[in-house]
Amino acid sequence: MANQRKRSFFAQKICRFCVEKIDPILFYDVKILKPLISERGKIVPSRISGNCSTHQRKLTTAIKRARNIALLPFSVEH
Amino acid sequence: MRTYQSVVILKPDLDDTQVDQTHEKISQFIAKSGGEVVKTEKWGKKRLAYKVRKNRFGIYLNIYHTSDPAKMAGLENEYRLYDPIIKHLLVHLEKDEWDWAMGKAAAAEAAKAEGQAQDSGEAKKADADEAEEEAS
Repeated sequence: MANQRKRSFFAQKICRFCVEKIDPILFYDVKILKPLISERGKIVPSRISGNCSTHQRKLTTAIKRARNIALLPFSVEH
Repeated sequence: MRTYQSVVILKPDLDDTQVDQTHEKISQFIAKSGGEVVKTEKWGKKRLAYKVRKNRFGIYLNIYHTSDPAKMAGLENEYRLYDPIIKHLLVHLEKDEWDWAMGKAAAAEAAKAEGQAQDSGEAKKADADEAEEEAS
């Protein structure tokens, strides 16, 4: 019960890729990838974003490829 | 024969004809690696997320092609040595990914043909959709 109450403070944990049926997570689809990196350019962990592990794995590959081709930053300059 | 996707970033100061020349040259590289270009998308000039060889912008080309897996190292070397290319990414596409990419092309063409057949208003909408796809 206590656990449930604590949980309710956070956003609902739903995998957006499962819900929206985004099948191949394309590395050049910046619109999808951008919300899943932090302000510093780090990949948001699934415990925060709520993605399922299958999609989180594919997402990680996609983000790393996007970084390689300069669509996403490795780190944000200051 | 395997299926690949090459994304190359060209120098930002090339004009359209030079981009076409570069694309032809890249096609030759791919032909040399025992494959052929199946589909090319021009993403146009984009802002890079970080500086690449002192460039802030780059012209993106997305090429779907086949190649001999044994000659991939040679192809990458060609990319590296060819001057207009400032950065490249070469990924192997699994069959389902490849089919998806090709299917998308077919669907876009069908939509375009449909749009042309119908009234101009709808055609415009289809074009806008396509432009969005290319931009993203």
